[in-house]
Amino acid sequence: MNVAILGCGGMGRLHAQMASNCGLRITVCADKVAAAATALAKDFDAKAMNDPMAAVKAKNVDIVVITTPTPTHKNLVKAAAAAGKHIFCEKPFGRTVAECKQSIAAAEKAGVKLFVGHVVRYFQEFEEMRRQMESGAIGKPGWIKMFRGGIFPGTPGSWFRDYAQSGGVTLDSMIHDLDWLRYAFGEPERLFCQALRRKEPVQLDYSQVTLRMENGMIATVIGTWAHPTGFRVKVEICGESGMIEFDSNEAPFSAQAREAAAGPSMIVPSNPVSVSPYQLEWEDFLGWIRGESMPRVCPEDGLRAVMIAEAALKSARLRQPVNL
Amino acid sequence: MVKIGIMSFAHLHADSYAACVQAIPEASLAAIWDDNARRGRAKAKELETPFIGNLDKFLASDLDAVIVTSENTKHRGLVEAAAAAGKWVLCEKPLAPTLEDARAMVSACRKAGVGLGTAFPCRYALPIVEAKAKLDSGEFGEVYAVSCTNHGKAPGGWFADDELSGGGATMDHTVHVVDLLRWMLDREFTRVYCELGNQLHQKTLKTDDLGSLHLEMKGGVQVGHLASWSRPDCYPTWGDVTLEFICEGGVINVDAFNQKVTLYDGKAGRVNWVPWGDDANLALIRDFVEAVREKREPTIDGVDGLHATAVTLAAYESFRSGAAVKL
Repeated sequence: MNVAILGCGGMGRLHAQMASNCGLRITVCADKVAAAATALAKDFDAKAMNDPMAAVKAKNVDIVVITTPTPTHKNLVKAAAAAGKHIFCEKPFGRTVAECKQSIAAAEKAGVKLFVGHVVRYFQEFEEMRRQMESGAIGKPGWIKMFRGGIFPGTPGSWFRDYAQSGGVTLDSMIHDLDWLRYAFGEPERLFCQALRRKEPVQLDYSQVTLRMENGMIATVIGTWAHPTGFRVKVEICGESGMIEFDSNEAPFSAQAREAAAGPSMIVPSNPVSVSPYQLEWEDFLGWIRGESMPRVCPEDGLRAVMIAEAALKSARLRQPVNL
Repeated sequence: MVKIGIMSFAHLHADSYAACVQAIPEASLAAIWDDNARRGRAKAKELETPFIGNLDKFLASDLDAVIVTSENTKHRGLVEAAAAAGKWVLCEKPLAPTLEDARAMVSACRKAGVGLGTAFPCRYALPIVEAKAKLDSGEFGEVYAVSCTNHGKAPGGWFADDELSGGGATMDHTVHVVDLLRWMLDREFTRVYCELGNQLHQKTLKTDDLGSLHLEMKGGVQVGHLASWSRPDCYPTWGDVTLEFICEGGVINVDAFNQKVTLYDGKAGRVNWVPWGDDANLALIRDFVEAVREKREPTIDGVDGLHATAVTLAAYESFRSGAAVKL
């Protein structure tokens, strides 16, 4: 099968590699920024195009990967579905619930497979935490705290920095944890959110959310684009007879350059795994396309995650809890 | 010599305060009273101090000051009695389980002309002091958001009995952090929302064991706070007090009691974090002793205790009403 990458930034490149690892051919790389399309196309021996909407219709394409800015997802999904292509859409599924609904309807109508990249469901450390809970090691879980984030993404002028487009850290990044909460514990009943969403004098976002799950659990989720450097994920799950902790800072490998020409060096920690969770989600997606299995993430999951993030942003605006 | 009496050993902190009093050369542990005579006598023996079982006699003695470490709901009666007897008072936190009690205690001490302190030792933890200095320097500019935790193990006993404690983990573990932020950021809380849970101890507790709070301070500072008795018995320490400050110029992280060595105890078959930092309790008691000598209010006074209680009670009210509550 042949793959078109729409949006040739960091995630586009990553998914091109994963699809390629799965034995797929990258035939088209499209990006409004010509240099980005050309660079990725060159590395994967694909055709570069400047118009993602035109690339959707290319004949030698079976699967379309959407790694463009969030508000463009819906129209690309609709066009790809209309052209009969299977779709891998990066999270967040859409900027609004209404957009997600349109995307789902389009894929259903066309009979194509639509996968949303909630990759945390495939992360080995998250799977291990689920296994431990399921084994009963900590008894019934009553509370979970999740932390994710670091530096504000995107350079000045990037769509990430326009809250109207990206939804800030709550919609773009915390959505991973909001999705995983549903995956591990079921539906939330209500939530409360505080979100910074500052632009001046420095741009930073810091989101603090408490959810009450239908099963009674409390989830406290912190998303940060307010740290000066780095990226960190922390999870703490407390049960009736024990507790589970994960901290990405406790990495098994790190390398620190003595001095980089550009200035102070940054430590890059790493958690090496033989099969990347991004590749696992691709294998899952492909199994679904081949009719072998149902995927871990269905389009409805993508929609529900956006719905929770939207409710969080509403709560932050109202400064009151919101029922789901 | 400042003569200090301890009123009740119901609260675990009484032991630490007794040791601090005995460690300060200008102070002496002069007498112990306890409504549980058996417990009081045992402590008196251990600490080589007279036990006076009659409250009137205890307060009629030549004590200069008392430390009240009873169950929360008994604070008011004991503080009022001590104030009427002209003793300086240091009261364990939370100052009281109701605003009415807290106000009565503050006014009783004012009327009697004695000082009233609230035991918030965290202000004296040196990592906290250093964080405050960093904030005060202005180097990091404005503070926009804070995430705090105060976790612990379930203390059991009267702590988990509303009738004696007035509330569970959220009552126990919110006041410290509220007091710290009022002091560090020099502003008051304006709003609070709270989710409470009683779900980490097989429902054996009669109170909450978990609170997830969202607060606002004057100027719109957003604060998230987690109060819990979530640490399992096998956890290597009692719990924590942590704060993350998101500021204009950077981020400040404090883990107030994270000065430790890790001990792998082969005989006991467990891992312990053994603290080695300066003792915050000692600094708190030292200030109290100085306050008594100088006939002044303790640095952290009853009004501070009252404010912290007010915010905590508003959190409970928020949970009952299901809405954010204005302070």
